[in-house]
Amino acid sequence: MFYKLRQSTEWRIFLMFLKFFLVTLLAAVMFIPFIWMVCTAFKPSSEVESFHFIPKMAQPENIAVVLKMVKDPFSHKYLNVNLIKWVFNSIFVASWVTALQVTTSSLAAFAFSRIRWKGRDKVFILYLSTMMIPAMVLTIPRFQVMVSMNLVNCYAGLIIPMAFSAFGTFMLRQFMLGIPLSYDEAAEIDGANWQQIYLDVILPLAKPGLITLSIFTFLGNYKNLLWPLVMIKSEHLRTVPIGLLSFQGAYSKQTEYMMAAALICILPLIILFIFMQKKLIRGINIGGGVKG
Amino acid sequence: MKLWNGQREKRDYKAAMAFLMPNFIGFLIFTAGPVLLSLYMSFTNWSLKPAVELEWVGLRNYTDLLSDGDFWFYFYNTVYFMIGIPFTVAGSLFLANLLVDEMRIKAVSARHSMAILTAVVGVITSGFMAIMGWYDAALLIGVLFLGAFFGVLFGAVTYRTMFYVPNFASGVATIVLWVQIFNPDAGLANNLLSFFLPEGTPLPTWLASSQNLLGFIPQPAHFNNGGFGLGAREAIMIMGFWMGIGGNNMILYIASISSIPKSLYEAADIDGAGAFSKFWHITVPSVAPTTFFITIMATIAGLQGGFQFAKIMTDGGPAGMTTTLAYYIYVAGFEELKLGYASAVAWVMFIIIFMMTLINWKYGNRRTESAT
Repeated sequence: MFYKLRQSTEWRIFLMFLKFFLVTLLAAVMFIPFIWMVCTAFKPSSEVESFHFIPKMAQPENIAVVLKMVKDPFSHKYLNVNLIKWVFNSIFVASWVTALQVTTSSLAAFAFSRIRWKGRDKVFILYLSTMMIPAMVLTIPRFQVMVSMNLVNCYAGLIIPMAFSAFGTFMLRQFMLGIPLSYDEAAEIDGANWQQIYLDVILPLAKPGLITLSIFTFLGNYKNLLWPLVMIKSEHLRTVPIGLLSFQGAYSKQTEYMMAAALICILPLIILFIFMQKKLIRGINIGGGVKG
Repeated sequence: MKLWNGQREKRDYKAAMAFLMPNFIGFLIFTAGPVLLSLYMSFTNWSLKPAVELEWVGLRNYTDLLSDGDFWFYFYNTVYFMIGIPFTVAGSLFLANLLVDEMRIKAVSARHSMAILTAVVGVITSGFMAIMGWYDAALLIGVLFLGAFFGVLFGAVTYRTMFYVPNFASGVATIVLWVQIFNPDAGLANNLLSFFLPEGTPLPTWLASSQNLLGFIPQPAHFNNGGFGLGAREAIMIMGFWMGIGGNNMILYIASISSIPKSLYEAADIDGAGAFSKFWHITVPSVAPTTFFITIMATIAGLQGGFQFAKIMTDGGPAGMTTTLAYYIYVAGFEELKLGYASAVAWVMFIIIFMMTLINWKYGNRRTESAT
């Protein structure tokens, strides 16, 4: 009797409705923090403590105050923040790191996957063995290295140490191993040398891997807190994480400003995500989701 | 023939070196070198204070930290946060199991008309509530129907995206957002609690509270246990759950579940198995290698994690309750300037992680490759 009911069309349609309802509800619950952030960013300070999401009197000036376009109505001073500069710094540093890291990683991955040479596997195992070293272990001596190279408190100090990655090399090598060797052989018969094989054969074929690594590297460095925290002293070098941290130190009591600033800093990521969504999800399956 | 081979080998070797060098030099300077330097530092009293003379102290840093009560307290904190891992992993599996189907109505016209119907019902309901003056309800219902509209139109992709966003956007900005959510007066968390709890019930102070769920267990005095309840640790774990549940783990599980042979489910259907027993007896065992991989990775990440949360949300407090090993290394190294001691802590952490990795290699290597 019950079995028959389970097979009936009505029961299936009902189950499907139930599933849609459940999933939508869960997804909406996941979004409540974001909704609350947007709503609070537009609240006047008198309404911040109220239970309601929608303010009685919306105050879009909060955004302008946080962006330093208008003075803070309470202190009649500009806030001591520079959001645009922070976002610029973060994008600048993350772009340089991404460009350099993807280049060096793909070169090394090519040497590890396409060319045969003595000692290749030993060097590769050396690379692999450093991948599980926690960032915290490396940060202290790296800082000393940067001090001795006189690169503390400048853009180069933020960019250069991040430009070389064992993880990136590993990921691209795995990806390149999946490209059949016959491509190289065919190119070689046509008279191509290794540079040409790298540039004209392997790089175009490895594009999905390169894109995935680029997204992860960019994102990771845009959001990196620890290294800039150790390296940066000057205000004009602050990246988004460092800037927000200092902002929180000064204005954590003003929830509406904090939320306006967080909104502005999260927005570029959401836009990036919308554009990159398909490639990213495919890439996570390629990369095994090791780095997030 | 032999000469040709030798020449080719030489040419290949040169080419390989040219390709490898840019990366390898950076690798030596910024990874391999620092690892050795860090090991050396851990046997010295290396300090950022210029007044301290550099001295070889042998194993003293290590013996110090093993007898240091704080170290064990922070180690306990680090392990405490791992209570969240099973919940996050189970949540990811649950979501993946829901979202593995495409969830799209096959006939295009039926799909479009369903989507339009959803949108119309949503606009009417939400609009009605707005006219009645229930603005919050109108907003939330509106969001719900918007999600349903895209869900009907694009299927599971919509939901996968929505669950992935918190993970993608996670970082200082989202942590700052959660600091405000846990604000005892203005925050969303207590607003919700006061809505559901009877009036007058004392609300948790979250990030300022040293209560925790294991607070009923007797602990050494310097563990600063504030008793049973919801406190800073739970706040951080709730946030971690929100960030982790729909992230890479969910996507790995989706890939893993979709590679289970359909014939297994069909056979179960013939035997009359229900949805839950199919999930429990087919899906869960089939994705066991992925579960193993995810759990080990999460444990390794957990051992070295907690720095961002401690730095942004609590400064390691209250009373050191949320100081993890990673944050302790940062504080010892860059705030107390004891780089040698901090390196020793870092190496202890590394040794624990190394053992976890060995377990992973020994028991999970072959199976995870097929899973990921």
